[in-house]
Amino acid sequence: MSIKDILTPFTAWKRVAKEPVTVRDPFNDRPGADRYRGFHKNDVDKCIGCGTCEAICENEAIDLVPFKDPVSGDSGLRPRVDYGRCCWCALCVDVCTTNSLSLSNEYKWIATDPEEFRFTPGIEEKAWDKNEKGWKKPEGNYEFYNLERVSMEHLHPEERNDSFIEMVKGFSKEQAILEADRCVECGICTATCPAHMGIPEYIKAIRNDDMEEGMRILYETNPLPEICGRICTHKCETVCSIGHKGDPLSIRWLKRYIADQIPEDKYKEILNTNNLEVNDKKVAIIGAGPSGLSAAHYLRLMGYQVTIFEQYEKAGGMMRYGIPEYRLPYDQIDKDINYILSLGVEIKYNTRIGKDITLDQLGKDFDAVFAGTGLHLGRGTGIEGSDNQHVYYSTDMLRKITSGEEIEVADSIVVIGGGNVAMDITRSLARLQMQKFDKVNIITTSLETEENMPADREEVVESREEGATVYPGWAPQSIEIKDGIPQGLHVVKCNSLFDETGRFNPQCEMDVKNYYPGHMIVQSIGQGIDISYISEEFKENIKFGPRGRVETDEYFQTGVKWFFMGGDIIQGPDVIHGIANGHKAAVGIDRYLRESDFPNN
Amino acid sequence: MQQIIQDIESRFTITDKETRRNDLCFLTVDKLQAISLVTYLRDYQGYASLTLLTAVDWIEEGNFQLTYLLNNPSTRTEIGVRTMIDRENATMESTHHLWENIQTYQRELKEMFGIDFPGSPRIDEDFILEGWDNIPPYRRDFDTKKYSEETYFPRPGRETNDPSTYMKSKLYPND
Amino acid sequence: MDIKKIFQINNDRSSYPEIGEDGKPIIDLSSHKYVKIWQGPQHPGVTGNMALELTLSGDEIVESKTHVGYLHRGFEKLMERRKFIQCFPTCVRLCVAEPDPNEYLLATCVEELSGIEVPETAQWLRMLVLEMSRLQVLLRGVPGQAGTFALGLGYQWGSYIRDLILDRFEELTGGRVYHMYILPGGVRGLLPDGFKKRLEENLKLADEFVKNINDLMFNNIVFKKRAKGLGYIPKDYIDRYGVYGPAARAAGVMRDIRKTHPYLKYAELDFEPYTTTESDVYARSVVRWHDLKMTIDLIRQIMAKMPEKGEIKAPTPNVMHWRIPKGETYVKCESSRGEYGMYMVTDGSDTPRRVNLKGPSYTHANALLEKLLINANIADTAGIMVSLATCPPEIER
Repeated sequence: MSIKDILTPFTAWKRVAKEPVTVRDPFNDRPGADRYRGFHKNDVDKCIGCGTCEAICENEAIDLVPFKDPVSGDSGLRPRVDYGRCCWCALCVDVCTTNSLSLSNEYKWIATDPEEFRFTPGIEEKAWDKNEKGWKKPEGNYEFYNLERVSMEHLHPEERNDSFIEMVKGFSKEQAILEADRCVECGICTATCPAHMGIPEYIKAIRNDDMEEGMRILYETNPLPEICGRICTHKCETVCSIGHKGDPLSIRWLKRYIADQIPEDKYKEILNTNNLEVNDKKVAIIGAGPSGLSAAHYLRLMGYQVTIFEQYEKAGGMMRYGIPEYRLPYDQIDKDINYILSLGVEIKYNTRIGKDITLDQLGKDFDAVFAGTGLHLGRGTGIEGSDNQHVYYSTDMLRKITSGEEIEVADSIVVIGGGNVAMDITRSLARLQMQKFDKVNIITTSLETEENMPADREEVVESREEGATVYPGWAPQSIEIKDGIPQGLHVVKCNSLFDETGRFNPQCEMDVKNYYPGHMIVQSIGQGIDISYISEEFKENIKFGPRGRVETDEYFQTGVKWFFMGGDIIQGPDVIHGIANGHKAAVGIDRYLRESDFPNN
Repeated sequence: MQQIIQDIESRFTITDKETRRNDLCFLTVDKLQAISLVTYLRDYQGYASLTLLTAVDWIEEGNFQLTYLLNNPSTRTEIGVRTMIDRENATMESTHHLWENIQTYQRELKEMFGIDFPGSPRIDEDFILEGWDNIPPYRRDFDTKKYSEETYFPRPGRETNDPSTYMKSKLYPND
Repeated sequence: MDIKKIFQINNDRSSYPEIGEDGKPIIDLSSHKYVKIWQGPQHPGVTGNMALELTLSGDEIVESKTHVGYLHRGFEKLMERRKFIQCFPTCVRLCVAEPDPNEYLLATCVEELSGIEVPETAQWLRMLVLEMSRLQVLLRGVPGQAGTFALGLGYQWGSYIRDLILDRFEELTGGRVYHMYILPGGVRGLLPDGFKKRLEENLKLADEFVKNINDLMFNNIVFKKRAKGLGYIPKDYIDRYGVYGPAARAAGVMRDIRKTHPYLKYAELDFEPYTTTESDVYARSVVRWHDLKMTIDLIRQIMAKMPEKGEIKAPTPNVMHWRIPKGETYVKCESSRGEYGMYMVTDGSDTPRRVNLKGPSYTHANALLEKLLINANIADTAGIMVSLATCPPEIER
């Protein structure tokens, strides 16, 4: 102890004249920092109501409340925050799939009613809605889930361009689990899937590596998983919430992964269908396509005796006769179909209704009939020269390729069409050209511009990889014929297809011309309904809507009580709609046969 | 570290070992050997400092795992001695003679897991929970959410919707 | 009752409390030789909410019991039903005054158990935040010791600079008190523009504060008289009672995880924790004052060495279903109070099986404080307690 110890503390007195450092609130506004985690903001137009914010909130502070009617890809719900529970951790912001949620830097909010502190950001207007500052998801590689798809391995173009072996290799276990991990389980996709498959649930089964559970979930809504896992139009992927910031999940490939893991002989055991009951009611199905098979499957599960009438020698319809083997191998079609048949579904091949047996006869022999006869009639362009014998329909050609018939393959070919079928025939013919001439010379032209082509993006890309030339945005005008052999196709520039009202009304620049040489022309601009099996007098009892489609109720029941129709002839065209229609029609038939007060009874 | 483990293995029956880092490993021993191993580590291997004592409830197997985490300040390594004790009538020998501070841990374990350490000072005094009348709360079968729902009242007026079921109810209620 | 007897003052206390046969003092409250008082849970001399049940003879403490439980939130249990990412806003509250070590420990446990490597930049940012957090605590903690002896001035000086540090936290992390910045996988943002310059300005004030507090406290005859020789911790208590950090270093035992088990990038920094041997309240106070100086220096070193840009977060599994294989680990770091550790057990699910936080207060405030208070003067209770830097939320969690 010294005198210093007594004196030095008095140096504190030097601060007596210093100005106070306190902030004079409220006279001086003190805004929060740029990153401050203040009150919530939500861009309700960007938000899709996926509920990931609700799921991650550890305090259960977020509820999803209705904001507008749901549409495909938007649940119509929006998050409501309870500030009695919120801890402003901003995990909801960081996890948000659309980046619509953020926090403002406002931190003062005075109200006397505690209920006010439960509010729906973006919908209930707040003073800080326009505040640019505040917490946003950090930039850079800061993500709570992987935005990039696990890439699917394909055969290289050189490996595949001369053969029909399957080109998509499928996921390995590690890849599938990694891809399944990206799912946030929001369930937005389920509504968009025509069959309303339990997508998040079966993806979860993949994460748990529980293929049997996955299989059961698949078969709840879709009895053709091997097929759908390969060629589904995957509308679900277009609305996947992860797709707003990154690549949507490969939902289709994940489905295929599950189905691929289960050997055919295990199906019945896993799906518990070894001993199905049989009742005394009989149902006839016309056409063994997706809708017919789906209806047959679910009807059989309900105990009905089901008989399918198929005009060709094999089942599958367009899946077999319309889709090339490199996209959908026949053994995979057989795997799905064999299982359905193994349940006790009878099938009569090479039987065409209207020719071998009349529809009326079916009505008498069976308690109900479901027709899923599809679109097998090729639609023509009707342009000059299209009646030449070297001008074909894609549907006919694809069917012939499947059944192994010899078809003409010219050294140069022009395909008209921009849909998936056009790509199918382009790529099939390219393979045949490769086999025959060892080179590809094929031009595919479509009315639609590149970005509006109805075909899947990868189909167009892969066609090009395989040597085909794709020219979108041209309208066919005439086919030049010399000595009975086509020489080429005259086209003009096409700028738009639909007018403001959304009607089909192509706008072409007639003076911008082009000419594609080819000794064989294939038309692939859509397919038509063939309901010639329905007699004229029968037709009087059922209703027709616009464009010759039959009108049915929501259970696909026609004006004739026992006659149900579904699939491409009603909706679509695609496989998943067919499956969904078949399932719904099966429910309808079941109710029609059991309930006396069913709508049309 | 490996040397010490080898030395321990020659003296005690180690049923399981897990080397987590260069300076951290976990050894599992039988309940009867646990205290002697802990004492041996403290007195002969320099693991003089007790970092923590805690329990893990493996309810599926009917066991509590007790972990004595010991620190050797001179080698700067840590050894976790794990032992499984029966969940029914869970009792463990007290080690309050080894460290003065372990009685606090034992009091907490008695209160939170219901593991008794007979002879440990003040073992029956309330530590954190005063007037607790439920099962020991850190046991896995104590459901915090259920307890809070039964004990406190939720704020009225809250409801939420699951996107998928909400969309189903609006877009395709009959499917 | 004989009134005279009640007011009779017996000046000779050497004979009691008598020691019983079991070695424990015999305390009979009805003898009127003793009085029992509660210091806390609401008491300005108690940090946070805890209570000391003191038995006094005159103004001398003969028995002390620590009572906690006023702040038990069951976080360890709550985390067992939360996904790993959801634990991160929960765990910051384990210790209110110094939340960042909690975040760091949880993140490190999760990363270690799932085998994730944290990017370089994120590691430097973590270190910066941890040191800023220590600075923020010590700015109040060092003068707070004088506060327990009724010298509150330094505490006010420190609070001002601490507030400025909180401003920096607000800029960097988006929060002033609960920063929620270090999350499993990395951190939540790079330094904002001009951050280093503004922090350096605050550090200059802190430099000045370090000097002023030296004049105010350590060359102060009152503080010296009160603190020297008070709350002596013998060296052999270190392991028996579990003494960590500055308290151990004041007893001449080197305990600083940053030095003994370098984590993050501490091995790349140049520092030497201060040790002394007096082991009383004054010594602990001086050690913490040196810690404060060292922290300011460390922050400067970190700012000079850290990369400006880079990845801030490693790719992790989808946080919505992040599962960690069965395993257990214990990770530790140096908080302002000493070794701060977290023990985590996982069972392969998406939630932890058990989380156990071990802070120095757990032993300091219970076994050690109860021992040190015996024979101390009631007026020195707060001084001894604050010198051990007890933090009740970390004891009961």
